[in-house]
Amino acid sequence: MADINRKKLDRRSLLKATAGSFVAWHTPGALSAPVKKPKARPKLVWVILRGGMDSLQAIFPHSDPHLMSHRKRLVSPLKDSAYDLGAGFSLHPALQELNSLYKQKQLIPVIATESGAKTRSHFYAQDMLESGLPDVDIESGWLNRAVESYQGESLAIAHTLPIGLRGKQRANTWYPDVLRPAKEDLYERLQVLYKDDQLLSERLAEGLKNRNLLGNMAKIKRKNSFASLAGSCGTILADRDGPDCAMLEMSGWDTHQNQVGHLDRQFKELDSGIARLRENLAEQWAQTVVVVTTEFGRTVAENGTGGTDHGTASAMFIAGGAVAGGRVQGRWPGLAKADLFEGRDLMPTSDTRQWVRAILSQHWNLSSTQLDYVFPAVKTMDTQLIRPISKSVKAAS
Amino acid sequence: MTAVKTKKAIIAVNRFGLGATGDELFEAGQDPEQWLLQQLVSPVFDPALGNTESAFITIAEIQSLKAKRRQGDANLKSRAKGPTVGQEIIMPYRQRFLKDSLNFSVNTKTPFAVRLLDFFSNHFSVSSLTHSLTILSPTLERDAIAPNLFGKFEDLLIAVEQHPAMLIYLNNEKSVGPNSLTGRKARGLNENLAREILELHTLGVGGGYTLEDIRQLAMAISGWTVNRENKQYQLGFEFRREAHEPGVRKVLGRNYADTGLDQGQDILRDLARHKKTAEFISYKLAQHLIADQPPQALVAAMTKTWIKTQGDIKAVVTTLVKHAQSWDAESKKYKTPREFIVSAMRAINDNKVADQNLLKVSLRALTQMGHKPFGSGSPAGHSQLNRDWTGSDALMKRIDWVNFISKRSRYSPPFIAARIFDSQLPPLTVKLLAGAESRAQGLALLFLCPEFQYR
Repeated sequence: MADINRKKLDRRSLLKATAGSFVAWHTPGALSAPVKKPKARPKLVWVILRGGMDSLQAIFPHSDPHLMSHRKRLVSPLKDSAYDLGAGFSLHPALQELNSLYKQKQLIPVIATESGAKTRSHFYAQDMLESGLPDVDIESGWLNRAVESYQGESLAIAHTLPIGLRGKQRANTWYPDVLRPAKEDLYERLQVLYKDDQLLSERLAEGLKNRNLLGNMAKIKRKNSFASLAGSCGTILADRDGPDCAMLEMSGWDTHQNQVGHLDRQFKELDSGIARLRENLAEQWAQTVVVVTTEFGRTVAENGTGGTDHGTASAMFIAGGAVAGGRVQGRWPGLAKADLFEGRDLMPTSDTRQWVRAILSQHWNLSSTQLDYVFPAVKTMDTQLIRPISKSVKAAS
Repeated sequence: MTAVKTKKAIIAVNRFGLGATGDELFEAGQDPEQWLLQQLVSPVFDPALGNTESAFITIAEIQSLKAKRRQGDANLKSRAKGPTVGQEIIMPYRQRFLKDSLNFSVNTKTPFAVRLLDFFSNHFSVSSLTHSLTILSPTLERDAIAPNLFGKFEDLLIAVEQHPAMLIYLNNEKSVGPNSLTGRKARGLNENLAREILELHTLGVGGGYTLEDIRQLAMAISGWTVNRENKQYQLGFEFRREAHEPGVRKVLGRNYADTGLDQGQDILRDLARHKKTAEFISYKLAQHLIADQPPQALVAAMTKTWIKTQGDIKAVVTTLVKHAQSWDAESKKYKTPREFIVSAMRAINDNKVADQNLLKVSLRALTQMGHKPFGSGSPAGHSQLNRDWTGSDALMKRIDWVNFISKRSRYSPPFIAARIFDSQLPPLTVKLLAGAESRAQGLALLFLCPEFQYR
């Protein structure tokens, strides 16, 4: 307390103190009894790919005899340069970092997954993916319910809170700046002005807290690119007082035409984002799990314009230092006409929520009751996805 | 003006308009409903800036310059240090249109009409994904939406779906009927536009259409494409018969004979008059203007008018204006970044063209707040719900921009406050404005007070 009293004399520091105390008002006990967090807390990062990522371009069964007949023009340019994952699967050549993680047993690609929504509408399928409930509730995201159960803190790298992090637990948002911030005095007066408006006063407190946490980040070049946002996310998470989980978004996956070149750039951007995240997480990477999912896959056959239309099953990636990886998971449904969903899409053989349940159980030790609260109506995938060592780190701390 | 009329005028100007400028509050106070209804005429933009047809000339210039650059580069064997094609043509072109639109909104005498233009421009959202789309996207609202804004929805719908920006953005430009002359040789059908017409532009999600309806509509509008360079004909929309899928099409249970271009247009007309479309767009419009959960009776009245008039937009809007539940005393809508920025600029505007730097900074701020013009990145457009604009980071960006603009007015905060709210601001806000440490800070507080954030 003495420290804060001294700061009150200094006008410039006042803002920092008030911003902090705002947090204290909303988070009981945060200031009055500052708790030192243990150094190694297991971190979780969720990357949502908006638009429907074409999983058959990301990870494809080079030995499936039907592949070429469905999408010769899409697969031919990749065949020779793709990375071999074994078990008959290849990884897109732009996914260099992911391949290297795979070799280090820090990546699990999961094939033929669905978001739970058998719909080809982006908006409904994304709502479903983010909400994770059998009856979509856009005020309740699965990551929020998970972090609520875990009693942790969360952050969305976004202007406003995406559905995935909406809910009972307070979640912050952060995005890089451009204009110069106002003087401290204006913020102080705004705090008074908003005293009868709960929403605005809460938003102001959160905004001030994030600015103080992240002051210098704004200078990063190409601030809005996914790679850069992922890098900032890593820096924030690496902080000892940083949040336990974060949500990142990347759009541009709705590839209806000429997708070969476009997806090449998309995968490069995604890949370097994961690399930046890993670099900036530094030693925290060993305790981190990154989950990459999308709302649906795309048609197995290429369409008339060198692209693909909205489909059903896609793929997901589970990456991180805490992951027991190095193998492809999920059951391959096949690409023969009779094997396809409604004769056109990759048939889903598992639900992303089943895999995330396994992660939450093994990484955050959530109980089955808690898992049912996060993702009701689906079963936990019975597979070891997390290295036991991450559990021992958690237990020791 | 009576106190009752003043309160109603404040609602007319802020909820339906773009925030008061000059003497607008006084003008609206004479008869607030009539003040809104007399605005229902198509906004007219400065033709000197260019149109859909001239956009193709610009696109051709870009392509020839790119080719020349490539040639030059090959000769030099290294990239010249000069400006890129984007810096030289595309960005200035885009800036010209965006600045003009912003300035138009700030200075308009028919702010209600501009709000409705913004609504439909977002309803029919296109994003500047490529160089061509960057050049074409601003012309969609000017050439297809504005002229049809207060006519029948079906005419608006057809004009939009035949506009090159939409045809290119949703990939119909290259969609070819599989059994057409062209289709037998190469390429094929692309369902993207047909899907979004049903899902986003007319019936809405859950509007009762099937996957087969999407395919049938896609076939009906195959051959709807773009003439980019054949100067013998008008540049822009072109119906290419040899790419059109022959045969009868069946959509929502109704057969449509193969009448060429008319086949697709007939389907669009029926979709525009459909009950689900009437419900969907009436709801969306009421949600845009009145509340995230608009009163059911209001939506029902608008839907009824839509069905009775076969989608006469002016009649539907009139029903909304005349409905008592549109005038609820509580302001329920949080302004979108664009509404917020325009209303603040109008508040301190002196009936003159805003300066270039202010427009530039404000456009950049819009992007920072997540409301990039022609940049929603989704055919569904930007959200119109409060929760998507009330994030903490978005609020900080508002504060940053207000901090910039509030230094630019000569007027005192109480004077500007009276222009917008007469004497209706709550005591706490009045006290803080009066006690501000500077004119700029007072204005900043005015623009950031809850009464200004909500409309």
